[in-house]
Amino acid sequence: MATQSYTPVPPGVGMEDNFLSLDDILLSQEKLPCRTETAFPRLGFLEKSGDTGDIQEGTKMEMPLWLAKGLYDSKRRVVAVDLPKVYREGWRTVFGADPNVVDLHKMGPYYYGLGSQLLHFDSPENPDIAQTVLQTFVRRFRRIMDSSQNAYNEDTSALVEKLDCMERSLFRSGQAGLHDFQRWEKGQSSQMTASSLVQNYRKRKFAELEA
Amino acid sequence: MFGEKAIELVRELDRIGDGQLPAFNEDGIRQVLEEMKALYEQNQSDVNEAKSEGASELIPTIKFRHCCLLRNQRCIAAYLYDRLLRVRALRWEYGSVLPTSVRFHMSAEELEWFNQYKKSLATYMRSLGGEEGLDITQDMKPPKSLYIEVRCVKDHGEFEIDDGTIILLKKNSQHFLPRWKCEHLIRQGVLEHVLS
Amino acid sequence: MDPSEVEFLAEKEMVTIIPNFSLDKVYLIGGDLGPFNPGLPVDVPVWLAINLKQRQKCRIVPPDWMDVEKLEEIREQERKVGMFTPMPSPYYMELTKLLLNHASDNIPKADEIRTLVKDTWDTRIAKLRLSADSFVSQQEAHAKLDNLTLMEINTIRQLFLESLNHMYKLRTNMQPGKDSAKSQDF
Repeated sequence: MATQSYTPVPPGVGMEDNFLSLDDILLSQEKLPCRTETAFPRLGFLEKSGDTGDIQEGTKMEMPLWLAKGLYDSKRRVVAVDLPKVYREGWRTVFGADPNVVDLHKMGPYYYGLGSQLLHFDSPENPDIAQTVLQTFVRRFRRIMDSSQNAYNEDTSALVEKLDCMERSLFRSGQAGLHDFQRWEKGQSSQMTASSLVQNYRKRKFAELEA
Repeated sequence: MFGEKAIELVRELDRIGDGQLPAFNEDGIRQVLEEMKALYEQNQSDVNEAKSEGASELIPTIKFRHCCLLRNQRCIAAYLYDRLLRVRALRWEYGSVLPTSVRFHMSAEELEWFNQYKKSLATYMRSLGGEEGLDITQDMKPPKSLYIEVRCVKDHGEFEIDDGTIILLKKNSQHFLPRWKCEHLIRQGVLEHVLS
Repeated sequence: MDPSEVEFLAEKEMVTIIPNFSLDKVYLIGGDLGPFNPGLPVDVPVWLAINLKQRQKCRIVPPDWMDVEKLEEIREQERKVGMFTPMPSPYYMELTKLLLNHASDNIPKADEIRTLVKDTWDTRIAKLRLSADSFVSQQEAHAKLDNLTLMEINTIRQLFLESLNHMYKLRTNMQPGKDSAKSQDF
C-alpha cells in the first residue's frame, strides 16, 4: 500500500492517553467494577431507571474508565475501583505460565491499554499488574512478528483473532512491511495506483445503490 | 449513562478506519450539545444551592456531572479533529476539486476549511522552485521515466497534453502520455498505469 | 519508506558501462559524467546505465561481487556466522534486481546469481527476526545495526519501532509514583 494521506491520531499506550485519539476514547469507555464510597444525590436514575433519588454510598455499579478516573481521588474516598478479573492474581498466573494461549481479544480487547490505565488507581497489586502486562507483551511479540511477516496473500483473520487491539495494529504494520517488499520484488512497486480512498468510496456508493 | 451519544460519534468514525469521510452527523452533535447544556444547568443550580445553603453533600454529584461535561467535550473535539484529518487527506487523494457526493458529506465549516487548506497549499507550492512553482502532490513515488503507458478505465472525454494535442480518453483505450499529466487521473481511478 | 524509494537511492550507485556512442563530458548537478567513447569503459550511476541499456546504447559490466563463486562464499559465510556479515554493497539486493532485470544478457549465470542473493537475503532476514525477538525479550535499550542494509531494515522498521515504543511505555508503568497519575483525561 502506498503512503496514506490519512493517519489517525495514534493512541498513547501506557498510563498517559492521547486526548484526541479515537482509540484511546474507545479504550476509556471500557467498564470497570466500582463501589461508591460517598453518596451522589439526585443521580439515582443512572443506577435504576426512573429513580429520582440518590446513588447511595456503597452502591456497586459499573463505570466507564473515564468516569472512574475523573472521580477517583486517592486522598478522599469517592469511589473504589475493583480489578477486572483478567488482571487479578488467578489470571496473572495463567499469563505467567504461557501468555501465548490466551485469547486477548476476548479478554480485552484493550488488554495492555486498560492494564496500564488501571495503575492510576492505587492498589497494592499495581506492581504485579505492570509486570504481568509487560511480560505478556514481551513473550507474545515473537508470534506477532512471525505471523505478520510470513503470511502473504492469505486470509489472516485466524491469525489476528486472538490478538488485542494494540497487537492487531502491530500485525498490520508487519504485514504492510512484508507486502510492500513483495510488491517491490515482483516489480510492481513503481506502479502508480488509484487511491484506496477513492476506490473504497466507490465501492461503498455502489453498495448503497444496491441496497 | 451520560456521554453515550458522544461515544457513538467516535464509534461512527472508528468503524470507517480507512479514512473515508462519512456524512457530518449534525443531529448527533446537537444531541451531545443538548446533554451538555442540561448538565451545565443542573450543575449551575446545584452549585448555587451548595453555596447558599451549605449543601456540601452535593459536591460529589457536581463533580460527577462535570466529568461528564468534559467527556462530551473530548468526544466532540476528537470527532471534529479526526474529520479534519480526513478532509485534509481528500485534497491529496482527489485533488483540489471534490466530487459532489463527497462535498455532500461535509459541513459548511468543513468546506470552508477545505478551501482554506487548498489555498494555503497552493500558495506554498507557488513559492517553491522558482517562477513556475512546484506541485508537491506529484511524483509520490520516484519516477522511472517521463512517459508512461496508461489504459482508460472509464470515459473521460477530451484531454489536452503539453504540445497542444488533444486526445480522447475513451474506455479501454491505451495511451503513451507524459507521466506528470497522468498521475492525478491515475489516483482518481480514471486511468490505469500499465507496466511494460 | 516505500521500497521504491530505497531502490531510488540505490540507483545513485556507480556501475561501469561500455558505451557504443560518443559524447562529450556532461555536466550535471550530481557530478560530471563521461566523456563517452565507443568501447571504452566509463563509470555512471545505475539510473543512467539502465536508461542507456534500454536504448541499446551500452553494455553493462556487472560489479565484481556479482559472480557465482563470490556469492556462494558470501552465502556460506552468512549461514555459518551468527552475526550479520558485511555485504559487498549496501544495495546488494536492489542492484541485483535492477541489473538482472534490465541487463541479464550482460551478466553470466544470471539465474544462479538471483538464487544465491535471494538465499543470502532469506538467511539474513531470519537472523534479523531472531535478533529482534531477543532484543525484545531481554528488554535491551540499544542495538548495533552494523552490516544491515537499508532494504533489510526497511521490511521490519515500522513493526519494530512501534513494538519498541509500546514496550517502552509498558516499562515506564513499572516506575509509578510520578505525578503523571494526576493527569486529567476523560
